[in-house]
Amino acid sequence: MRESLSFANGVGLLTLIKRELVRTLKIINQVIWPPIISTLLYVFVFGLALGARIKTVQGVPYAAFLIPGLIMLQVIDATYSESSSSVFQGRFMNSIQELLIAPLSAAEIVTGYVVASVVRALVIANLILILGAILVHTVPSDWVLYFGVTVVVAVLFASLGIIMGLLAEKFDHLAVLTTFVITPLVFVGGVFTSAQFLPPAVRIASYANPVFYMIDALRHSFTGSGDVPLDVSLGVVSVLAVIALTVALIMTARGTKLRL
Amino acid sequence: MSSLSVAPRDGKSASPAAPEGVDAIRIERLSKRYGDVVAVDDLTLRVAAGDFFGFLGPNGAGKTTTINAIVGLVRSTTGSIEIFGHDATSDWRSARRLIGLAPQEYNFDRYLSIRDVLIYQAGYYGLPPRDVGARADELLERFGLASKSRDTFIKLSGGMKRRLTLARALIHSPRMLILDEPTAGVDVELRLELWSLLRELNASGTTIFLTTHYLEEAETLCRNIGIIESGRLVALEPTSRLLQRHGAASLVVRVDGPIPALPAGLAERAFAERDLGLIRIEGVDSTEVAEIVAALVRAGTQITAIDFGRASLQDVFLELTRK
Repeated sequence: MRESLSFANGVGLLTLIKRELVRTLKIINQVIWPPIISTLLYVFVFGLALGARIKTVQGVPYAAFLIPGLIMLQVIDATYSESSSSVFQGRFMNSIQELLIAPLSAAEIVTGYVVASVVRALVIANLILILGAILVHTVPSDWVLYFGVTVVVAVLFASLGIIMGLLAEKFDHLAVLTTFVITPLVFVGGVFTSAQFLPPAVRIASYANPVFYMIDALRHSFTGSGDVPLDVSLGVVSVLAVIALTVALIMTARGTKLRL
Repeated sequence: MSSLSVAPRDGKSASPAAPEGVDAIRIERLSKRYGDVVAVDDLTLRVAAGDFFGFLGPNGAGKTTTINAIVGLVRSTTGSIEIFGHDATSDWRSARRLIGLAPQEYNFDRYLSIRDVLIYQAGYYGLPPRDVGARADELLERFGLASKSRDTFIKLSGGMKRRLTLARALIHSPRMLILDEPTAGVDVELRLELWSLLRELNASGTTIFLTTHYLEEAETLCRNIGIIESGRLVALEPTSRLLQRHGAASLVVRVDGPIPALPAGLAERAFAERDLGLIRIEGVDSTEVAEIVAALVRAGTQITAIDFGRASLQDVFLELTRK
């Protein structure tokens, strides 16, 4: 087990990261442009149309308030789908065997998928950021926090993607988590509204929603304030990321559904 | 195909050094169970470094499971595997670098061109692209794939896919090549090409471990043969001895007219089939043929034709694996 956590094949790890990025580029119309287009639509329909009536939320114009939530929405989707579909396709077409017979440790394989997911997430997050700067004149005030939260959330959902990519028996299974868990949690997690506007009962429920803390932490990096203290949201997000990453590592080291 | 060498070159191999005189494969009491099903049952097997080894058995006998245990795609239930002295579980990085696998089922990366398939595979083995570009081109050339180097694997013909399987297995210059049914579904010409290629590799020191359903292939290529049946090893010996020990060659003589009394020395193993006008003599060594024919002629037999059937691996295989 200790050996499967070792890093000794740097070239192998870089090769895997490169392969994942090549894959992303080959399906760019499927994975990079759609989140950008849908962000544009959200900003126009919700931000500009609705914003005219809502004015400000947490002291910023509504359209600017939307941007961090939209970044999280797309980062979560991008990282989960990158790692889950790549791992699952690799299993489905057996091409993951190329990695499994090579001198690559579980830690190297997981890191490869996670790093590639993080890169994809940062590309998308920054494209949305540029849109936000141009359209609604908002940029992060705390860049370290912005990058930190984006990376930790990307690690969390890339790890979840690996876990589901390993467990799924058909493509359909990958969509179960997105459709029934992730998407609902994201939409009620404060992308479009502050918890302060919610009825008390719903507001308390949203504290049980992990995505709420992710969006709140990222919003901190833009506005300098949020619904919960920054320590709390960062703590929740980091703990979840560590748990997901650990589970993905253990499953890969054990060869769950990989090494029969 | 060109005559470029596919043998490993000094300084470009990912393979760690292995001590001299160590077996290429040493499997001790390997078992693999899936629930109640025993796929491999207490298998002990050694393949010497430099050997050309044929691993035979009927479908579902445990050949691919054994290979997958060797390369790490299957976790063995019990037992141990060493590759050139490196334990496949505790020293897996070294063990895996020494093996090139050409699996039975195609498992190529469909996002990459076939040249990149080779370059990336080398990368997973720790060889950076600048070191393997030339070797990748050389292998593509050698396997008649150079004109397709920018295409993905989906665009290749069946024979080309087979050749790519081999090229990929060789990209990191392994010391041992494991081939699972390398010539399944390829035409006669390509099969002969692959045979000569495997011989060339073996001659240059690469250990070869192959499974095949074509017994002629094993008989022609392999110096040593193991036969597995229901997960158990039922034979393990040099091909020549296996044929001698289990296969009985027979001499069939076609006779014109009545069959006279057989010479006394042959009576025990000669059978006259009068209806067919044949005499069949069993357990004949090739050096005896002239002597036996002379004895039959002296006894007054009018011989019109002679058929000497050497024992084939197929006979041996059926004898050993028949339930």
